[in-house]
Amino acid sequence: MNGKLEYWVKVPVGPIHPALEEPEKFIITLDGERIIHVDVKLGYNLRGLEWIAMRRNYIQILYLAERICGICSFSHNHTYSRAVEEMAGIEVPERAEYIRVIVGELERIHSHLLNLGVVGHTIGYDTILHLSWLARERVMDILEAIGGNRVNYSINMIGGVRRDLEERHIRAILDMIEHYRNEVMPKIEEIFLYDPTVEARLRDAGVIPKRIAIEYSAQGPTARGSGVKKDVRYNEKLSVYPDLGVKPVTPKEFTGVVKGDVFDRMVVRVGELWQSMELIERAIDQMPEGKIKAVPKDNALLFQLKKVEGEGIGRYEAPRGELIHYVMGQKGKDVPVKWKMREPTFPNLFAIARALVGEQVADVPVAIASIDPCLSCTDRVAVIDANTGEKKVLTEKDLLKLSMEKTRELNPNVRAKPEVVGVGCPRGDVL
Amino acid sequence: MNVIYATLGFLCVYAYVSFASLLWEGIDRKLVARMQRRMGPPLLQPFYDFLKLVSKESIIPRDANKFFELAPVLALATSIALLAYTPLGFEPLFGTKGDVILFIYLLTLIGFIRVLGAVSSGSPYAQIGAQREMIILVSREGPMMLALFAILWRLNGLGVSKPFSMGAFYEHNIWEIGTPLGLIGTVILLGVFMAWLASEIEVGYFDIPEAETELAEGTMAEYSGRHLALFELANAIKAFVSASLVVAIFFPWGISGYLGLTGVAAMVVDLLFHTLKVFAVLFISMSIFRAVTGRLRITQATSLFWTRFLPASIVGVLLLAIDAMGVIA
Repeated sequence: MNGKLEYWVKVPVGPIHPALEEPEKFIITLDGERIIHVDVKLGYNLRGLEWIAMRRNYIQILYLAERICGICSFSHNHTYSRAVEEMAGIEVPERAEYIRVIVGELERIHSHLLNLGVVGHTIGYDTILHLSWLARERVMDILEAIGGNRVNYSINMIGGVRRDLEERHIRAILDMIEHYRNEVMPKIEEIFLYDPTVEARLRDAGVIPKRIAIEYSAQGPTARGSGVKKDVRYNEKLSVYPDLGVKPVTPKEFTGVVKGDVFDRMVVRVGELWQSMELIERAIDQMPEGKIKAVPKDNALLFQLKKVEGEGIGRYEAPRGELIHYVMGQKGKDVPVKWKMREPTFPNLFAIARALVGEQVADVPVAIASIDPCLSCTDRVAVIDANTGEKKVLTEKDLLKLSMEKTRELNPNVRAKPEVVGVGCPRGDVL
Repeated sequence: MNVIYATLGFLCVYAYVSFASLLWEGIDRKLVARMQRRMGPPLLQPFYDFLKLVSKESIIPRDANKFFELAPVLALATSIALLAYTPLGFEPLFGTKGDVILFIYLLTLIGFIRVLGAVSSGSPYAQIGAQREMIILVSREGPMMLALFAILWRLNGLGVSKPFSMGAFYEHNIWEIGTPLGLIGTVILLGVFMAWLASEIEVGYFDIPEAETELAEGTMAEYSGRHLALFELANAIKAFVSASLVVAIFFPWGISGYLGLTGVAAMVVDLLFHTLKVFAVLFISMSIFRAVTGRLRITQATSLFWTRFLPASIVGVLLLAIDAMGVIA
């Protein structure tokens, strides 16, 4: 005994917990109110999407991709379309790109308003939740008017968009922006930049330093809140975004300091609401006339895709961060042989788990909510032995071993022997 | 005979306060809902909730000990006992010399029983909730007791028949002093009492032990069915009683005198008027406070009490004392 008795408690947050919108599990080791260790367990929301996709053709997958997640339904099928377009070398008409920008930014507005409300709810400030979700109804109505649905608006088609923006839609969008500028945004700024309760709770909570954000490859507002200038729309000069003058929003422009805490992430979201409205206005101004689909007929498109051999990667800045879709096609098949996506929540989740160590238990829900986790997008791998029912999660070591075996099998001449690089994925050794 | 009448009156008071406190809960939910641009539940929702909870099965955790089942009964019993010493627009039914001290003990005891029940449940969430409740319990009583005893001491100076009793508030009230220093001190103490009331009923900043999104109702995490119903009723009565204390200290005026009523009729009218005042105090300290603030961290809440409310209380008390001693004429 070295004099000090340590009293540690393991508290499971999840899979079902009032602070979480979706099933995920954080096992938190506590010393009093202080957090010593956070362990993340995923896999409660696995739906076998990639398996389902093996039985769908390229166009049917668009609608599957849309249903990966309710909030970023546009982002997923946009990114998927970009991947297929890159694979098949389809040129997208300019008007279609502008329509994608407008709908994408509308989606960003509704996603950010949703998240602001959720963060308000997790600190027990329910008035923020109700009022910001009330404000969100307006943009949902616009999305319904454009796409016919509040959530799954099915705008994208491979090589263009399915619906054109009409004059009345544009009028409604401009009205909405006017409403948000004058009525909603001043209130939101007052709450998230100046309210004492919000500042007391969000400042210095769940701090992700810049170094951690880079090491764990945090994405989207989580990275930008830590001062990393990372935005696919800007860095990769995505579609027509450079013409619209997009820039990564960091909290520095609003508050002058970058701390990387929950408050900064919220400030980034408020800034992006402003930015999205500007982008929509500019896109409406600059939008050219023209056709909206590269290939007007769906069966002709499918026939064209059937002849394609190769692979494509789509990238897009979803509201939560960079989304990547990978598609691999084979000649003579109208089904992709491989479709794989990487969601922003995955790296963000481990960055936030790392950031929570040393903080109070009261910060857990608000820190988790601040990255806007989307678990239905993220859940992928859990290896379960069907015969014994044993569950096994592969560590970095195992994966490296498996990939080395596969490489040897493909090409016995490769002699390189890579080594485990370390933390990489924090689940590695703690599970 | 007198004892029998007092007991009958006490039972009536208990029935009335149970009804009024649950009704207030309904009004509060409706009002907050309107502030948040929602429709809100029906006014009688707390009654429906209570009846439904009573009729439902109560689940006892495997690791719970006997006290887990005992705690809700004790909490309700304590809150009923508390009613005997609560000023309700007239002197408490069993009021006597020094009953204020008993009142505070019983009020704290409810919180303490909640902690014991939570600790007995064996749930980690409840454990954390219990720790938080204990910490905040210790922090909030200091400023309140200082303010309360200072006011009672000041009232003694005006000459009351039963010193340090709830009845004293109805003989003289603190605003009667009327000097500028006394008024300023009283207003400061009123602020301290409002903050104490908010933390006593755990809303807004002080919704820390139950913290729904952090601890899944914290101290109440494992309670269900009948046991939860008893706790809900005890909490509702506690909110009413705590607000009654604030009303008795700062707004003790009755209207029966103006209407020329005496006896039981006067008591009934005063009780109704008192209920209105309690609702007004709770509206400020509970509904509005809950609508415009979120929950603080436990460290922030504790430091709020020790570095803001305790000094405020000391300043208020000193002002009253200086005024009473006549140091500054």
